[in-house]
Amino acid sequence: MNQEDSKPTLAARRAFLAKLGGAATCAGAVMGAATLGAIPAVSAKAPPDGGSFPTKDYDWTKHEWGFGVDATKCIGCLRCVEACKRENDVPRNAHQFRTWVERYVHLEGEEAVRIDSQQDPVNIEASGSEKEFRFANRYKDAKVDKAFFVPKLCNHCTHPACVQVCPTGATYRTEDGVVLIDHGYCIGCRYCVQACPYGARFFDEEKGVSDKCTWCYHRITKGLQPACVEVCPVGARVFGDQKDKQSPISLFIRNNRVQVLRPETGNAPNVFYVGIDKEVN
Amino acid sequence: MPKHIFRLVSLIAGFLVVAIVAKPFLTVDSFYRFGHYRANSVTEIAGQEPVLQTARYCQDCHTERHAQWSASSHKSVTCEVCHGAALGHPQNGKLPIPKDAVKLCTLCHEAMAGRPRSQPQIEVGQHANGQQCTICHNPHSPKIAAASVKVAGNAAAGKQRAADCTACHGAAGLSPNDTWPNLAGQNAAYLVRILSAYKSGDQKDVAMTPLAQALSDADIQNLASYYAGLDCKGAPGEKAAGDVAAGKSLAKNCAGCHGETGIGSNPAWPKLAAQKPGYLVNALKAFKAGLRKDPMMAGVSRGLSDTDIADLAAYYAAQSCQSTK
Repeated sequence: MNQEDSKPTLAARRAFLAKLGGAATCAGAVMGAATLGAIPAVSAKAPPDGGSFPTKDYDWTKHEWGFGVDATKCIGCLRCVEACKRENDVPRNAHQFRTWVERYVHLEGEEAVRIDSQQDPVNIEASGSEKEFRFANRYKDAKVDKAFFVPKLCNHCTHPACVQVCPTGATYRTEDGVVLIDHGYCIGCRYCVQACPYGARFFDEEKGVSDKCTWCYHRITKGLQPACVEVCPVGARVFGDQKDKQSPISLFIRNNRVQVLRPETGNAPNVFYVGIDKEVN
Repeated sequence: MPKHIFRLVSLIAGFLVVAIVAKPFLTVDSFYRFGHYRANSVTEIAGQEPVLQTARYCQDCHTERHAQWSASSHKSVTCEVCHGAALGHPQNGKLPIPKDAVKLCTLCHEAMAGRPRSQPQIEVGQHANGQQCTICHNPHSPKIAAASVKVAGNAAAGKQRAADCTACHGAAGLSPNDTWPNLAGQNAAYLVRILSAYKSGDQKDVAMTPLAQALSDADIQNLASYYAGLDCKGAPGEKAAGDVAAGKSLAKNCAGCHGETGIGSNPAWPKLAAQKPGYLVNALKAFKAGLRKDPMMAGVSRGLSDTDIADLAAYYAAQSCQSTK
């Protein structure tokens, strides 16, 4: 076969494939639309009656929430953990948390960093109960090179892996930038617990559903601060509306060099950190 | 079309029809309203009731406490951090007052690697012999006034300046009158603090205010050194109307700062031993009424009756002004 012959053959083949592809797409679209039924336009963010959503005093299209953590201020008092458990009816035990605090300690002459959180057995013993939280003074007699506390919570990512894997639509990202869980639709498969690169989700055996931080959605929609921010005595936690250029979080991001955890995962987190080392992720 | 193909196609078509018909019945209305989730669940979550009520909620009833707290260095520690969530209070009863202050306060104030330097921290084993923190610190206003006042005055210069004081406080710092305090042997740091308060207007007294305003800071230092150095021996235990024994048992609450017999360990706080009973009564009543302002004293004097005050005054007045140690 020479080149003169092959040209028309190739063109014909391309045209045929293009038609085939188009036909398949059309068929797929028809079938898809038919299968799903009539889907209303998803782009309508506000209810048609002109009221606000999700409550009558709060319009989620007007906000874009964000969270800041200044690890240089954290004193590790764990009042945030306590307040969160109380506010959100999180199981009172030492292994399920919506927010938690980690301690990073470099000892003199040691290569690896020592990391513990309030769930460490030594810290549980110091608190005297699994229902109370405190950091034990365990490095009192050690030579500490460097140490700091890091509060952690759900990052409310812009592209959350947990939402992507949910088979039932029980977890989703709201218009105002909060990732929520619909406990009525969660079937307890725990895909999301596995998918989160930050370990922010846990499974609540009692309720049979996955659970995690909501940035206290029931508080922020009423104009209050999340419980952990409200009780933090040193201002290590900052919360606000990124659409408001004078809000605490906007100022925090503007006035500090901030970073997010594990940016390489592509989740685009919305909790911004100041004062953490490379070991923190 | 071969028969088996026809059957297959009709089977698939049948499934499709059933699926299309069943889908709207099996999907709740609010699903797909904004996306692949139930819109009503957002409303449900947003509708939950907040448990922590914020300090603003406490302010209306606990006005006085709120004012004291919000002016103190503890204003960043909200009410509910120590007293628990206020949801259901006052309907469902009182909120707890923390019993073990050492356990609570050290959550933030125990010296620990990792805590920023700006955080006030104590070595738990070496601070206050393990006493409850609330004995010396008012949790609603924890900073102890002028605890670290340094006195470096000249007693001789103070003696000259003291000429204006002798009419009321006596030539040797021992007052001839029941309502004016003895100054001889008083803690210098306390004298500096109280004179400075009269000078600045933080504390007011018809006689003392103009006198103190005429003093320079150096005068105050000198006077304090002079009176602190005087001998208080001439002030024997005074007799007063109150019940000394009752006062002694009440005074246990004061011992943390003022010592068992009215001689405390911290020079920022006044010695009470052998002080004039009339003066002690007036001072306690002034604290109770808010005329003299001190966060710690306001708290402890609040619960004292007039009889309690008289008993306490009688007890301290009857003590020896010299340390038995």
